[in-house]
Order: sequence, then structure tokens, then C-alpha cells
Amino acid sequence: MARVELTRYPFLKGLLRSRWLPWAFMVITLPFFVLAILASLFGTPAGNRNFGIVFVWIVWWALVILLFVPAAGRLWCALCPIPAPGEWLQRRAFINPRLKGKLYTLGWKWPKRLNGMWLQNAAFLGVALFSAVILTTPSVSGWVLAAFMLVAVASSLAYERRVFCRYLCPVGGFIGLYAQLAPLELRVKDRAVCAAHKEKSCYIGSESGYGCPWLVFPAALQKNNYCGLCTECLKTCPLDNVALLVRPLGADLQAVQGRRMDEAYKGFIMLTCALVYSLVLTGPWAVLKETAFAVGSPSWFVYALVFLSANLVGVPGAFLLCVWLGRRWGDKSAQLSLRRLFVDYAYALVPLGLAAWGAFSLSFVLVNFSYAWPVLSDPLGWGWNLFGTAGWKWTPYLPGLIPYLQVPVILVGLVGAIGVALGTASGHKSQPKAALPVVAFCAAFGLALLWLCVG
Amino acid sequence: MHMKSERFALGVVLLVLLGLPGLVFGYQKWRSTIPGLRVIDLVGYAPAAGGWQPENIRVNLGERVLLRIYAPDVVHGFAVPALGLDVPEIYPGKVVEVVFTASQVGRFPFACTRWCSQDHWRMRGEIEVVDPKDPDALPTHRSEQPVYQQLGIDLDAMRIHVDPPELLPSAARGREIGVELPPEMADPTWVRPYAPVEIFDQLRADRALTGLSDQQFWDLLAYAWEGTLTRQSMETGQKLYARDCAACHGESGRGYGPAGRELPGMSAMHPGMETGPADFTDITKLFSASDALLQGKVLRGGMGIGMPEWGSLYTDEEMWAVVAHLRSFGYELSRELLP
Repeated sequence: MARVELTRYPFLKGLLRSRWLPWAFMVITLPFFVLAILASLFGTPAGNRNFGIVFVWIVWWALVILLFVPAAGRLWCALCPIPAPGEWLQRRAFINPRLKGKLYTLGWKWPKRLNGMWLQNAAFLGVALFSAVILTTPSVSGWVLAAFMLVAVASSLAYERRVFCRYLCPVGGFIGLYAQLAPLELRVKDRAVCAAHKEKSCYIGSESGYGCPWLVFPAALQKNNYCGLCTECLKTCPLDNVALLVRPLGADLQAVQGRRMDEAYKGFIMLTCALVYSLVLTGPWAVLKETAFAVGSPSWFVYALVFLSANLVGVPGAFLLCVWLGRRWGDKSAQLSLRRLFVDYAYALVPLGLAAWGAFSLSFVLVNFSYAWPVLSDPLGWGWNLFGTAGWKWTPYLPGLIPYLQVPVILVGLVGAIGVALGTASGHKSQPKAALPVVAFCAAFGLALLWLCVG
Repeated sequence: MHMKSERFALGVVLLVLLGLPGLVFGYQKWRSTIPGLRVIDLVGYAPAAGGWQPENIRVNLGERVLLRIYAPDVVHGFAVPALGLDVPEIYPGKVVEVVFTASQVGRFPFACTRWCSQDHWRMRGEIEVVDPKDPDALPTHRSEQPVYQQLGIDLDAMRIHVDPPELLPSAARGREIGVELPPEMADPTWVRPYAPVEIFDQLRADRALTGLSDQQFWDLLAYAWEGTLTRQSMETGQKLYARDCAACHGESGRGYGPAGRELPGMSAMHPGMETGPADFTDITKLFSASDALLQGKVLRGGMGIGMPEWGSLYTDEEMWAVVAHLRSFGYELSRELLP
């Protein structure tokens, strides 16, 4: 399969191997993060005039879901300022490694039973459940962001490396899932070279850098899920055996090996949440929005119950039914366990889920992006006018075009989902008809999304 | 070399983590020190969340004041009628700046002018302008006793009701009758103490007007009353009524404004209210009430239904303009007078 090695270009290679990265990225994003927290906690409670709401939940969200993830996978994780203070404290350094990458932590080991994405799934569900409040109430949003950073710092001081990013960050979880689609990957060039290299400096660390902060052994990397593109392995590999590559879209979804239940559930949660958000936050039913906002009220508890049930039982249950039907139809599929089939086919939801989030995000990002200009000049809503844009009026951008963007996005996602479902059947050496119920499930979801967007 | 780069990186990080907050709060502090201006931040919350903060603003005579007004929750308005300050809309998250010179000693009430919430009318405050040489001398802006008090009118006493005319009294029909009316009827100050029904009785007792029907007397009354009005006062009355009264009394005056419909219980402070806002199209009541009585009710408020008091906010001209607008619900006026 065609891949282009970007690190063969000396300038880019030199840049990525520089010890100033990713520090330089982080000190660019850190002021935005600090300002977002300051604005959220001390600025106006009017969300649409508060930098903390507008820049985090509109501008940053648009960048991540519409640009970074589809184009570069986990690139955002390399820029993210949230783990930075914890990591700097853990390393007691900003740029250069001390003592062959020694880390100053309590040295606790992350419990094995907490491996995987389950905590990230729970964290995302928690944020999503309260999202009507978090996304619109600056003070709540500010405390949530501050809590992310505090947890990241605490976990960096107690545990090894970036356990916050790897196991806890609710954003990192879905970025990792959807990074499988991205046309960018970091991989070793030749695994045999790694196998023969006794020092394993990419994982252990060396004078040139730290062992993989994401707890990944680069030679074992087959998917983008847990590679944060921090470029440490590029710096520590003495054999020049690590490369950054451009690759075909969705390359990680072509093989059925290595699929996991926690990642499958991330797919269900993300897809369900995209649908619920489209219904609740951008749909025409004010009562749903009010209910989601009325945290603690009896109706909110009903909403919470429905929301969690749909995410954890309803949608996965319907999907399981489809998988069970496919198992009955597909000859070879019958030899695999229902659990195995359930997990493997769930990866069809990855392209559909990203498309759903893309379509949902387009609907509010284009409509609300113009709020960014006033808050740029007056981030705290205190009457400033730093750049002369404080008085710029809210103007929806290209509102007539939104459905024309959403429909192809959803259709591309649906085609991708069907491709992955059929590919999964093929990977099981089963007939395509084994995938048909899952294809029907994806089509139904796609139609529901189309109805919500343009129906 | 390594130490150098670490120190540089540490400097940049500290600049971001400590310098940025310092810059934000420092800049805001710096903005509040404008030579020749006293900057006062005024934050308007819906009354249930605290109302105006601060509620009382004390400034010195001669001071030039910049009010920075914020509305964090919903759209509010801000007016200090006695100082001629009027900001119709303060949107959440936006800051409106108002500059005035405290040129007159006194207490100047200010209020929200948008129906921001259930208890909107409680959103009041006061600017005190004091002379530093004599800080205790603080007259209110209204020095004269209101007419209803001068006349000793009991605002809460039951009124006589009248037999209503068949048709709404019409100024045009009154003009067409072509009789000469007593000249004092064109003087609003003469009219104010009398209920229309009392003037109606006076006209009917006038021997020069014998032979007219009751309807014609009412029409003459409308014609005479119209003569006390100006287009400007009608416009003022309509504007203030729309701003302050219509939410309860309704645009048509029938007492079915969006806030009035919710009565009883419009006010969280008066959950047991049994009657709603007055119906100004009920002419049996309207014609029993003098302008002075209406002025008193508007000025004092209350009425057992939680009606706001407007006395502290309206100038005399505004007060009579509002009374005239209320009165206009009982008459058919000439088109040229209508705003």
C-alpha cells in the first residue's frame, strides 16, 4: 500500500527530532488554555461573549473534529497544553531530558485492570451527560477544564508517563478512535531493526529523549489509537528507524486483528452521542434542550437515564441484534463468537461516527463561528476592544450551504462504514451477506442523521 | 547550553502562567483609571439574582462619571429619568458605557427598563449626588407634593361607577355638536381633580346646553379633553406605557399583558394576589377616576396586586403623559393627535 515518508525530507525530520518540539507547540496553545480558564471563571457568564466558551467549544472543537482528526489524527494531542505542566513537573525539565529520560514521579504503576479506554469512555459519557451545561455555562466549563489539568498534573506526579492522556482524557479517547481514519501515521520502518536493538531507547528513554510518554512500544504500533505524535521516539531512535508517513485514509481499519471491546464501545458512545447532540442541542425541540440543561430536576434524571441507556445498552443492543442476524446468515461467521463479531463489526461505526460528528459540528460551527471575533477583542466580556472587533455582529456563515456540506459528509461516512463492515466480513472469510444487517444498521443511522440535518 | 535553553523555556512558561493572568487583571485595572473620570462598574442581574449591583451609587457634585453597565444574565435596560440617561438595551456579555456629570445634588432613582423577569420592576437603584461640603443635604428630585396628595385623595377608596355611554365618547362627534365649552375645560390643571363623570354632570347642569343627549355630553367631554393634549405628550405617554405598563395591562389596556395574564402570582413576592391588572377599557371605572387619582396610583403603585411604583422614575411631564395615555383608552381621539 502506497505510503509517503515525510521524514525523508531533512528539514521536516530535523524539526521533528528537535528537542524544542513539542514544547514549542505547547507554549503556543497554553496561553489560549490559560485565557480560556480565566475567562470562564472570571469573565461574563454570557457564554457567547466569553472566550472560554467560544474558543473552546466552537473554535477548538471545529479545529479538532473538522480539521485535525480527519487530516492528522492525533496531531492535536501533540499540541494539547493540558498534560504539559504535569509532564514538565514529572521531567523536571522542559526541553532536554535529565539522566537518560528519568522521570520524577511516585513511580506508581497504572493498574492493569484499568487499561484500555474504559475510563475514557466513562469520562466522555460524564462530560456528555452534562454537556448542555458545560458547553454553555462559562464557570462550569472553566472548572471542568481546570479539573482536566489538575488530574493530568496529579496523575503525572503519581504515575509513570502520560497516563492521563493514555487512559483518562475523554477527548483523547475519541481522537484516538477516529485517528484510525487519518492519512498520517508514525511507524517504525523495519521491525527487525527494532527487534535487534537491545537498548529499546524508544521505550526506555535515552540521553536524546524520553521513553514513549504514551506507554507504547513503537515497534508494536499497528494503529494510530495510542500514538500521540509527540515525536519522542523519532528523537530517541539511534538507528533512524522511525518515520512519519502519509498513508491511505482509514488504513488502520483494514485489518480485523487487534480490535477491542473498549474501543468498540467508544464507537457506540460517540455515534450515539452525535445523534443525541443533534437531537438535543441543535434540533428544534426546545423541551429536550431545557431538560438536558435542568440538571438535578426530575425530568433531567429521566433524560440521564435515557441518555445512558441509549449509549450503553440501546444502541449496542440493537447492533448486537444485527450482528447476531449476520452470524446466522454468514457461513464462516458462525464459527466466531458473538462477542468477537460484535467487537469486530463495531469498527464500522468509526467512519460513520466521525461523519456524524462532522455533520453535527458543521451545523453549529458555521452558524456560531462569528462569535469568535468579538471575544478575540473582549475575551472576558469586560468591555474591551483590543483588536477593534468587539462590536462585530453575530453572522451565520454560509447557512444555506450547511446541508450541502453535511449530506456528503454523512454519505462519505456511510460509504466508509459499509466498506469497513464488508471488509470485516471478508477478514472473517465470510460472505458479504454476513455484514448486511450491520450495513442496514449503519444505513438506518445515516438516514436518521440525514433527517436531522436536512430532513 | 542545556541549562540556558531550560532557563529560557522556564521563563516563557512562567510568563504564560503568571504573566497572562497579571496582564488580564492589570489591564482591566488600568482601564478603570481614566483621568478626569470616575469609573463605576454597574452590574444588572434579574431581581431574583440580586438586581443592580451596586444598588446605591454615591458620587460627588461636579464629578464626571463613567458607568460601565454589564448585564450578565438577560437583556436589561437602564434609565435615570431625572438625569436624562436612557440605555434601552444591554445585552448579556456586552458592556455599555454611559458618561454623565453629577451637576445637581439629589437622589436620582434608576431602573431597568426591559421586562427582564417576573420581578423586573424591583430592579431599581439610586444615584446619590452629594456636595462634599454638605453631604447630608440630599433632596429628592421631586420636591412638590403630588396633586393627589394635595387634594387628599384616598387612592384605595371605592369609587362611584357611572352608567356608560352607548358609544365610546368621540372627540370628532363632540366637535360637530358645535357648542362653546367653558374655557377652563381646556386647562389640564383644571381638569385633573375631577373625574370625567363629575365634569359630565357639570356640563349636563349647564342650562346653555339643555337639549343634548347623554351621549352628546360624553362626546363633548371627549372633545374638551382632547383640547388639553399635545401630540408630543401623547407620544411620550404611549412610549412609556409600552415600556412600563403594557407587559401587565396589555397593549390594548385590557389587563391581559403577557405578565398580567400570569396573575395572581406575577410577583414571587406576592404569590397570593387575587386580582390582576386594571382593565382601562372598562370605562365605568375609568370615568369615575380623576387624572389626579390615576396619577396617584401610577405614582404609588401597590393596589394589593404588587403594582410597581413609578413615582420615583417619572418626571411630572412623563407622569401626566402616562395618565393621558390611560385616559385615551376611554375616548375616540382625532387621528392627528394619535402617535
